[in-house]
Amino acid sequence: MNPLRVVLAVARKDLRAEWRTRELVPALAQFIILALLIGNFGFQIDSRNASTIAPGILWLALVFAGLVAFGRTFAAEREQASLEAMLMTPASPVAIFAGKALAAGALLVMCEAVLLPALSILFGTPFSGDVVAAVLLATVGMAALGVLFAAIVARVRARELLLPLLTLPLWIPFVIAGGVAVQSAMGLPGNYQQAIGLLLDFDILFIVLTSLAARFVLDE
Amino acid sequence: MAVALMLLAAGAIFLYAPTDALQGPVQRIFYLHVSSAVAAYGCFAVVLVGGIIYLRNESPAADRFARAGALVGVVFTSVTLVMGMLWAKPIWGVYWTWDARLTSTLVLWIIYAGYLLVRRLAEPGRQAARIAAIVGIFGFVDVPVVHFSVTWWRTQHPGPIVVNDALPAEMLATFLFTLGCTLVLAATLIAIRYRIETLIDARQAIAEPTKLVAAPQPGAAP
Repeated sequence: MNPLRVVLAVARKDLRAEWRTRELVPALAQFIILALLIGNFGFQIDSRNASTIAPGILWLALVFAGLVAFGRTFAAEREQASLEAMLMTPASPVAIFAGKALAAGALLVMCEAVLLPALSILFGTPFSGDVVAAVLLATVGMAALGVLFAAIVARVRARELLLPLLTLPLWIPFVIAGGVAVQSAMGLPGNYQQAIGLLLDFDILFIVLTSLAARFVLDE
Repeated sequence: MAVALMLLAAGAIFLYAPTDALQGPVQRIFYLHVSSAVAAYGCFAVVLVGGIIYLRNESPAADRFARAGALVGVVFTSVTLVMGMLWAKPIWGVYWTWDARLTSTLVLWIIYAGYLLVRRLAEPGRQAARIAAIVGIFGFVDVPVVHFSVTWWRTQHPGPIVVNDALPAEMLATFLFTLGCTLVLAATLIAIRYRIETLIDARQAIAEPTKLVAAPQPGAAP
């Protein structure tokens, strides 16, 4: 079986399921708007300090929306016990895992398509290609790690409790580098080039590591 | 023996080593602070190696060593953090600052505290051991990554420049002695914990037949 076709098939299956139910993305979009609303009340935002606070709100909203999204990745598979069926096929577990990660990452990108314009409209921050590039690069690595740990906790009793506990510390490198990149793209001091380079490095590192680990997670 | 060595080290720290000219007696924290940080890294290396060996051949002994290492490592990381804060208050004026080393040590602590929680929450046996092995490996990789990414961002932690000409020989001797004693203590604690884990596993093996009859837990994986 061609692994690339397996990846695309699994990703297409997940995205089609989401398209037919249309539950996760609208819920996450609302979640993100609510996060921005809370950010507005938590800080006294005006036109002068918006650019210092907005990057922080962006990452908070994105990280927590990501946790919710990745927590749902294996929900349907668990309810229907369909993961076992997929693993019984000759498809390699790594390809199945990559497909799930691709679909989850795509869903998170859809949430970002709500978050970034909303942030720029509500807080008046610049909406530039630099910001989008930084967020997308961070999403790649976050999706790989998030889906790996979602798969790990899918079989554990207190999975809602464990997923944030395990995933957030590993996402911190992305938040650090992505945070600097977004801050400098919004006009605060920071080295954008270096931050983007770091994000790329982290992406490569964690994609390699998660694909090595995926075999032990899915294979039972 | 480890306890006696630690008492000796305490004696050396307070009686033998000279008082720092600039920082005063507070500087004496440094001996144990750095030693326990090194011991914690050692413990987490045990977790990493135990995890890799477990994933390769499912040896229960490797898993027990990983469990023991994680617990002892979290204890030493806590000691490092608390002692560092006690030192920072008089020297930096604050208990905490978002510096590279402090942040990465805190992340380290969180990761391995999470590791211990995973062990408690997952079904005991193969599943918990596999999950924990993966968490242990990712945790170990994440720490240098976090450290590196905060370092270029901002740091004010004193650099690891310990050995230079200005350092009195007594201070260096005290530090090396404390380091050695702390490592012995860590190894002893891991050995004790390993024995406890062996006993827990043995008890689990005896209790296993009753578990087969018991109803499956609600929400357990299919």
